[in-house]
Amino acid sequence: MSRFLSNKRLILLMLGVIVLVALISYSLRDRANVSFPEQIIKDTVGAGQSLFSGPAHFVTGIFDNVDSLLNTYKENQHLKGRLEEFAAVQAEVTDLRSENDQLKEIVGKEADLRDYNPIQATVIARNPDQWEEKIILNKGRSDGVEPDMAIMTARGLIGKVALVTASTSTVELVSTQNPNYRVSAMVLGGEEGVFGLIEGYDTERRELLLKRIDAQIELEVGQQVVSSGLGGIFPKGIIIGEITEVSIDEFGLTKLAYVKPAADFTLLNHVIIADRAMPDGDQAESEAAAEAEAAAEEDES
Amino acid sequence: MIRYILPLIALVLFFLEPVFGLFSPLQLDGEYYYIVPRFLLMFLIFVTVYYDAKRAMIYGLFFGLLYDVFFIDIIGLYSFLYPLMCLIAGYIVKSVHRNLFVATLLTLLLTALFEFILYLFFSVISLVSVPADIFLMSRLLPTMVANSLFLAMLGWAFKQVIVARLLERENSKSDVNKRRYI
Repeated sequence: MSRFLSNKRLILLMLGVIVLVALISYSLRDRANVSFPEQIIKDTVGAGQSLFSGPAHFVTGIFDNVDSLLNTYKENQHLKGRLEEFAAVQAEVTDLRSENDQLKEIVGKEADLRDYNPIQATVIARNPDQWEEKIILNKGRSDGVEPDMAIMTARGLIGKVALVTASTSTVELVSTQNPNYRVSAMVLGGEEGVFGLIEGYDTERRELLLKRIDAQIELEVGQQVVSSGLGGIFPKGIIIGEITEVSIDEFGLTKLAYVKPAADFTLLNHVIIADRAMPDGDQAESEAAAEAEAAAEEDES
Repeated sequence: MIRYILPLIALVLFFLEPVFGLFSPLQLDGEYYYIVPRFLLMFLIFVTVYYDAKRAMIYGLFFGLLYDVFFIDIIGLYSFLYPLMCLIAGYIVKSVHRNLFVATLLTLLLTALFEFILYLFFSVISLVSVPADIFLMSRLLPTMVANSLFLAMLGWAFKQVIVARLLERENSKSDVNKRRYI
C-alpha cells in the first residue's frame, strides 16, 4: 500500500482531483457558447465520426428496406383503404390553403409563425453512455443552425439545438431530465387553442408532461399537442404528441397532462432542423403586437 | 507500421462506440434496455494488462478528453475515469497471474465499476433520477452482457496484437542496446 501511494503519486492524485473538480464545475455552468478549443475538437471529431456513421446508416438502411419489403402487402391493403379518404382531404386542404392565403392578403399579414426553412441533417452520433439524451448532427453554424432551433423527424418534434459549432450541432432531446428544458405548446381541438408548457419527461411512462394549463379548461384524452411558436424561435404547429391522461399538478392550481410523443426517439438517423422563416424576429413580433393593439382598439370603438 | 497500431485501434474503437450507441435503447416486450458500448475502455485495460500501464493512461487521458468535449460537455469526467481505471487495473495485475481469462474477468469487473461510478456521478449532479434496481436491470445487466460478447469475440485478437507490439518494442530496444555495445 505504501508503495502504491508514494508521496509523488499522492500529490499527483490530489492535483488531478482538484483539476477535475474545477473543470467539472466550469463545464456544468449553463453555457450557451462553446470555447474555441472545444469547437476545434468538436469539429475534428465530428468529421471523423461522419466517416463511420455513413456506413452504419447504410447497413441499418438495408435492414429497414428488407423490413418494409416484408410488410409491403399488408401496408398496400391499408394504404388503398386510405387513398379515397386522402383525395378528399387533399382537395379540402388545397381549398383551405388558398382561402387562407387570400384572407392573409386581405389582412395584410405576411409573416407567419408557421413558416420555416427545413435544414436536412444526419445524426452522426448518439451520446454512447446515454445518461444524457443528446444526439450530434452534421450541420452547424455554417449551414445556418442556431441554438434553440427545433429538431423534428417526419413524425414530430424530437428536441432542440443545445450547442452549435461550425460544422456540428448538439441536440438535446425532449426526453431529457434537464429541469430547465421547456417547449411552449398548445392543445388542438376545441374552440380556441389551449396553451401550456412541455416541462419534464416521465421516464417510467415514457411520456412528456404538459404543465401550466388553466384549471378551467376541459381537456380530453386523444387531443393533439403541437408547438405554439410563442416561446422564441420554434415554428408553430410541429406535432409533439397526443394527450393520454389529464390530472392536476402538485400545487392543485393548474392542470397537467401526460403527452405521448408522436416521434420515436430510438434509431434516429435523418432529422430536420426547423429554421423559422421570420425575416426579423423582433421586428415581426413588434409588428404583430402593434396589429393586435390596433385590432383591440377597433373592437372597442 | 505496427508501432502505431495501438493508438489506431483505440481511435477506431472510439469512433465505433457511438455508432453502436445508435441502436440503443433496445425495446423488448415493452421494456427498454440500454446497451452502452465500452469498447475503448476494455481495450485500454487490455493494454494496461499486457503492455504498459503508463501508456494506457496517456491514451485514456487523450480519448477521455475527446469523449468529454464531443459527447457529454462535462470536461474532466471521462478524462479522469479512463486513466483511473487503467491505474487500478495496473495495480491489480501486479499481484495476479496474467492470462487471458484473468484479463477478461478484470476488464469486465472494471467496466461494471466504471458504469456504477458514472451512475453515482450523474445521480449526484441530479441529471438523472433512476432507482438503483432499475439501473441494474435496464442498464448494467444488458450493458455487461453485450460487452462480454464483444470481449469474447475480440479479447483474444486484442491480446495477440498487443503482445506482437510488445515483442517488437523489446526487439527494437535490444537492437539499440546491441548497437550501443558494439
